[in-house]
Amino acid sequence: MVDAARQSKIDLRAYTEVERVEGFVGNFKVTLREKAKYVIADRCNGCGDCSSVCPIEVPNYFELNIAPRKAIYVPMSQSVPLIYSIDMDACIKCFKCVEACGPLEAIDFSQEDKLVTEDIGAIVVATGFSHFDPSVMEEYGYGKFPNVITSMEMERLNNSAGPTAGNLIRPSDNKNPQKLAFINCVGSRDKRFNEGCSNFCCMYSIKNAVLLKQMNPKVDITIYYMDIRTPSKGYEEFYDRARKMGIHFTQGRPSLITEDPETYNLYVHSEDIALGEVIEHEYDMIMLNTAAIPQPDQNEMSSVLNVAQSPGGWYMEYHPKLRPMDSPTDGIFFAGACQGPKDIPASVAQGSAAASRAGRILHSKEWEIEPTVAVVWPDRCVSADGKSCGLCSKACPYGAVDYAKGKAAEIITAKCHGCGACVAECPHDAITQLHFTDAQILAQMRALLAEEPHKKILAFRCHWCSYGGADLAGTSHFEYTANERGMRVMCSARMDSDFIYEAYRLGAGAVLYSGCHPQDCHYITGQLIGAKRAKRLSTIFERMQMTPGRFRIAWISAAEGDKYARVLNEMQAVLDNMPEEQLLEEIERLKPEVTKRLRRFPNVPGVQEAMDFSDTMVTAITTKESAA
Amino acid sequence: MSHENTIETFADQVKAIPGGEHLEMCYSCGTCVSKCMIQQKLEPEYNPRRLLRMVMMDMRKEAFESPTTWYCSQCDLCYPACPQEIHISAVIAAVKQLAVEAGYSTPLSTVSVDESLCAGCGICVMACPYEAPHLIQKEVDGVMDLFSEVDENRCMSCGICVAACPLGAISRKGVSNKEIIKQIKVKKQKSIPSLVIFICDWCLREDDDLSILESYPANVRVIHIPCSGRIDPQMALLALRAGIDGVLVCGCRPGECHYQHGTDITTCKMSLLDTMIDQIKLRDHRVKFVQIGTQERGRIRQEIDSMLETLNARKEPH
Repeated sequence: MVDAARQSKIDLRAYTEVERVEGFVGNFKVTLREKAKYVIADRCNGCGDCSSVCPIEVPNYFELNIAPRKAIYVPMSQSVPLIYSIDMDACIKCFKCVEACGPLEAIDFSQEDKLVTEDIGAIVVATGFSHFDPSVMEEYGYGKFPNVITSMEMERLNNSAGPTAGNLIRPSDNKNPQKLAFINCVGSRDKRFNEGCSNFCCMYSIKNAVLLKQMNPKVDITIYYMDIRTPSKGYEEFYDRARKMGIHFTQGRPSLITEDPETYNLYVHSEDIALGEVIEHEYDMIMLNTAAIPQPDQNEMSSVLNVAQSPGGWYMEYHPKLRPMDSPTDGIFFAGACQGPKDIPASVAQGSAAASRAGRILHSKEWEIEPTVAVVWPDRCVSADGKSCGLCSKACPYGAVDYAKGKAAEIITAKCHGCGACVAECPHDAITQLHFTDAQILAQMRALLAEEPHKKILAFRCHWCSYGGADLAGTSHFEYTANERGMRVMCSARMDSDFIYEAYRLGAGAVLYSGCHPQDCHYITGQLIGAKRAKRLSTIFERMQMTPGRFRIAWISAAEGDKYARVLNEMQAVLDNMPEEQLLEEIERLKPEVTKRLRRFPNVPGVQEAMDFSDTMVTAITTKESAA
Repeated sequence: MSHENTIETFADQVKAIPGGEHLEMCYSCGTCVSKCMIQQKLEPEYNPRRLLRMVMMDMRKEAFESPTTWYCSQCDLCYPACPQEIHISAVIAAVKQLAVEAGYSTPLSTVSVDESLCAGCGICVMACPYEAPHLIQKEVDGVMDLFSEVDENRCMSCGICVAACPLGAISRKGVSNKEIIKQIKVKKQKSIPSLVIFICDWCLREDDDLSILESYPANVRVIHIPCSGRIDPQMALLALRAGIDGVLVCGCRPGECHYQHGTDITTCKMSLLDTMIDQIKLRDHRVKFVQIGTQERGRIRQEIDSMLETLNARKEPH
């Protein structure tokens, strides 16, 4: 950190929050709130005279509130930059600090928060993680029993710069504990609180146990665990070392901690899985290894940065395996635990990767993006005529649509990721997606449904998930109906209602509307838009009294080849269970209604031509085949 | 490639019964085993985690014969503690249902009905947390009438019905009215007040607490009952009539009762008893009901000491 502060090309802004992020890759405009420190940074030399005269003491957040700090303070003694600031919620304005500061005149009570806007090329998010509060787990008695503490609190107690100068004492009577227990997975791997594994706690508890054992080999330490996870290089060896040092490992998740009301000693009730017996052991002090959870303001930050969150609340990466340091938004990268709990080596690796990714942007004059971007036909956009619409702007997961009443909507190409949500949402068909134009998709559909369309199942698949699912079904040799005809689009949000109506107008037997699971969507909220539309369509078809199952919605991940095959086979079964005449009759009955809904479709540029062209092609193919 | 499996596994059967669905989520952490007190107090072989494992490994016979299947009293302490949110007691109930269907029966000693006393009033049916007793029409000694009959595979031997029966027609070996009343005897010493403690088998988790009970002199009599719901308010009155200074009834904290709602039944009974004691102008604070939680180690000592103190204070002016 000191090195970072000394490096001339690094501009360190401490006590500053990101308020707003606008713009796009290479051209971000970031608004920062520089919070008032009430100390002039250039004048403060960090001597600490002000702090020593301050009469106010409040809990020290950095010491996990086990120690006090003054109202004028630095968060920790190694703070970089070493500049004091005043906590105005605590300050009583006695101005003793002003006196103590003397000729430096660094203290300025008139300071206010300052908003500054900066031009930024790339953003690396490294906001870290927070800790689960174990007091909600009544069974462990944290907050109720003084000698039940968290491992983080123990680290402060055991730290030579901490409140007890490294003397590990137990809170009830300030004695040095002789018999200690660590409990792993407190609030993690627990469906009631946090489903995921916190990744580093196994190693963290072993490390703490080893440290304590090194300081005092006489202490008796037990680690209660469910599974010990030491997957990286050298970790298992470290675990072995801990065992050799005489640290006890007991498999079994404690269900209860009770306290002796006289001695304040604690009893852990757990099953010893190896013995298959319930055990109850007495300890002087118990440390809880609490779950790593997202920062409390992670939700707000995710909307400021416009990046998605995974189910646990962590920031979602562009691709879990191939691009773990990239956010779905170009030019924003993740480093460390903000993207998911991880240990130091993994954080460092990800941070370095993110930095080099960011460096690549700063050093390039041009930036390559996917060619499948959306484009607006300004003459078709109603907003140019002064009508208010803005559906495209609402649909866009990336805020890439520059929409204002009175002018045609515009797509900021650098921000567009090519999901096609705006294209499908536009009620006036004023937007198109390159390489996935309505005309191109239509031509494909007509070719696929050229012959005996009533026997076909037209499956719309999204590029990232259900297409992969279908692929996996194929490579895994999961058998499914040969009547399936696959149509690839980038996202389920691109699956325009017009396509579905057109498929039924062409006489398709069944249509599958498939995409990612909501949390897997490659385009942040694309799936949600697609799902909403699919639901609306299914209500419409229900009202048209279409046989249930002829329109099917399924969310299939790339790993669910079996599900893809199953869904298709179920759809085939629906068609098989209908007599052919009945199916044909239903198709004919629905044709006028779907055609009515398609009345605007031929006006889309290129669609009429595509229809005519594909009609001639289809006729050519069918006549050729029948002639043969 | 076909993925159909025509043979139904034991796990499939259990999962088909409502409550048994999340069975395979178990990762064997052992929370349920140590949360439950049956292994420590009743049956060392009791282990819900292993039963779940047996179901998953298709060990049908072993599961049916396992004490876990039969001893679980559905108190549901383990369900809210389970990190995988498995409704363990429901899984056990599902196994038990299959075991009963397969012809197995409970090894527990259950309650029995004396038909010569039973009037078919149905109070036991309402009192039972397990729906074990039910009224049936049958002929006894040439008379056709309604009688209570207990489904022994449902009965968990809590004795709540024994206390509820107004005619004393239901009894269980070891905790029949006669056997309990016989124990209400205290060796009196002038200097210290005498006290009878009715204590439920489950509210004291630790051995330490049990040994506290033994640390008092003979003037404090401890009577173990399966559930505080087994207490008949008459027993408290009998004790007072026998010249004993005080009666302390201990049960589990609400929500932690080993027999689902036995402790709630006792709360109702004891508040009625309080009203009655008030009406007959007996001195106050002679009968007390305390509910002890699983985390309240050492509370039993505080309660007994404070009770003795109150009784002592009452005695002194004379």
